[in-house]
Amino acid sequence: MSNFVNMDIFSNYQKYIDNEQEVRENIRLVVREIEHLAKDAQIKLQIIHSDLSQISGACGSARKLIEACAEKYVKLATLVPPGQYYRYSDHWTYITQRLIFLIALVIYLEAGFLVTRETVAEMLGLKTKPGDGFHLDVEDYLLGILQLASELSRFATNSVTMGDYERPLNISHFIGDLNTGFRLLNLKNDGLRKRFDALKYDVKKIEEVVYDVSIRGLSNKDNKDGEQSVAATE
Amino acid sequence: MSKQGGGSHRNNAHKKRQPQVAVDEDNPIVQAFRNYSTELTTKHDRHERIVKLSRDITIESKRIIFTLHSIDSRKQNKEKILEEAQQRLNKLIEVNFRSIALELRDQDVYQYRNAYSAGLQEFIEAYTYMEYLSREDNDEPPKSVSDWQALQSVMQYVENPSKAKDEGASVEETDAAEEELPKKFQFFIDPTEYVLGLSDLTGELMRRCINSLGSGDTDTCMETCSTLQMFYTGYISLNLQRARELWRKITTMRQSVLKAENVCYNVKVRGGEAAVWGSNFDQKPAEDVDEGFY
Repeated sequence: MSNFVNMDIFSNYQKYIDNEQEVRENIRLVVREIEHLAKDAQIKLQIIHSDLSQISGACGSARKLIEACAEKYVKLATLVPPGQYYRYSDHWTYITQRLIFLIALVIYLEAGFLVTRETVAEMLGLKTKPGDGFHLDVEDYLLGILQLASELSRFATNSVTMGDYERPLNISHFIGDLNTGFRLLNLKNDGLRKRFDALKYDVKKIEEVVYDVSIRGLSNKDNKDGEQSVAATE
Repeated sequence: MSKQGGGSHRNNAHKKRQPQVAVDEDNPIVQAFRNYSTELTTKHDRHERIVKLSRDITIESKRIIFTLHSIDSRKQNKEKILEEAQQRLNKLIEVNFRSIALELRDQDVYQYRNAYSAGLQEFIEAYTYMEYLSREDNDEPPKSVSDWQALQSVMQYVENPSKAKDEGASVEETDAAEEELPKKFQFFIDPTEYVLGLSDLTGELMRRCINSLGSGDTDTCMETCSTLQMFYTGYISLNLQRARELWRKITTMRQSVLKAENVCYNVKVRGGEAAVWGSNFDQKPAEDVDEGFY
């Protein structure tokens, strides 16, 4: 009677898993390169919190680094076998979210609107539909956008410090729209949901800044309103 | 469709209703988010449907395993039970796994892995246990346990449009393919899931080893024990990284092996007394380890 346990199963599985390890190893190398580029871009963009005049320069250099990331993504896409995106996606979700955030920040600083998923995907050289190949996951996009909200609340505070009293109002409108958008989503009790729950703190922070600015009549736009409300309290 | 956990759903519905009155549909952000919302909902719904299907498979597989444990050499009920188990397992393949396969068609199977993994593993446990028991007496063609390729070859399906519609699972897919010839599809068996499911079989073997002692069938004790030892050798021969789940299972497996070895030791030492004291033997050694039914 031959054995019930077929030892080939284990040697075959070992081969299978060794293959997988190799793929992961290669993915990790490329992801690390992307991480370096993204970090540089993030550092370049930190200047917005201390010098408003350098914003467009910072955006320019960040864009270059993002372009370099796009090249790496092309390489990454070749490493992932078709139809197995989610088998390996844990390697790159984090850094992709970070890049989405950086792109969204650059676009917001340059143009003042929310970058769409399609544009982000294009800038990173990714597809939008899973069926078309290496794509940009919609949840990653949304998580990246939530990072943008936190950064903008910090930016609102700092622009006041640097004497720009208009900016917090724009940011406040923008985050308000964003908040409305997120409320349209039917979220499950998952990571995205948890991260979304933190959005209200960013909203609150920005609203406080706007309040401080308007009640003291610092903003030109709200100058009248501000004076009126001050007068009313007197 | 109630696809969400009670609490979160209520919460959501509440939150959603208020701002919807004031939502400015011309706002580009709102328009974009409407699309994202549809996409997320589609994904969540599919996930929930698969979870449901998987849960049915888990329950039925556990029941089959339970039935298989009622095989008792003193009752001569083996053939009947094996036949029943075989039928029920086939039904799982033909109905439940087929539905999951339909859901997963043209999808990235790894994306929904968490949704079906539990059911698949439990099924593999039941299936291989059935195989183990059926080879004991038909030793003319002594077959080894099916590997994942063998299981994969049973999970092949041919599209049957009218039936697919009845199941209501994926009407769009069937619509698109209606004019063409029946298409083939399969339920993809991930080798890792297979290896994880197979590792659970050792728990059942341990139980069979101990139960056989209870009925005085010491040959079965020895046989299951040596099978267990071989499985254990196979599993520890694997050289793995990033496999916490499997590592946990191998630890459990070691416990099962030790228990079975202890049974064999007792058989050897006390021999004929076994049938007498076996009835008092602790029959629930692994309650914390396994998932119910005992």
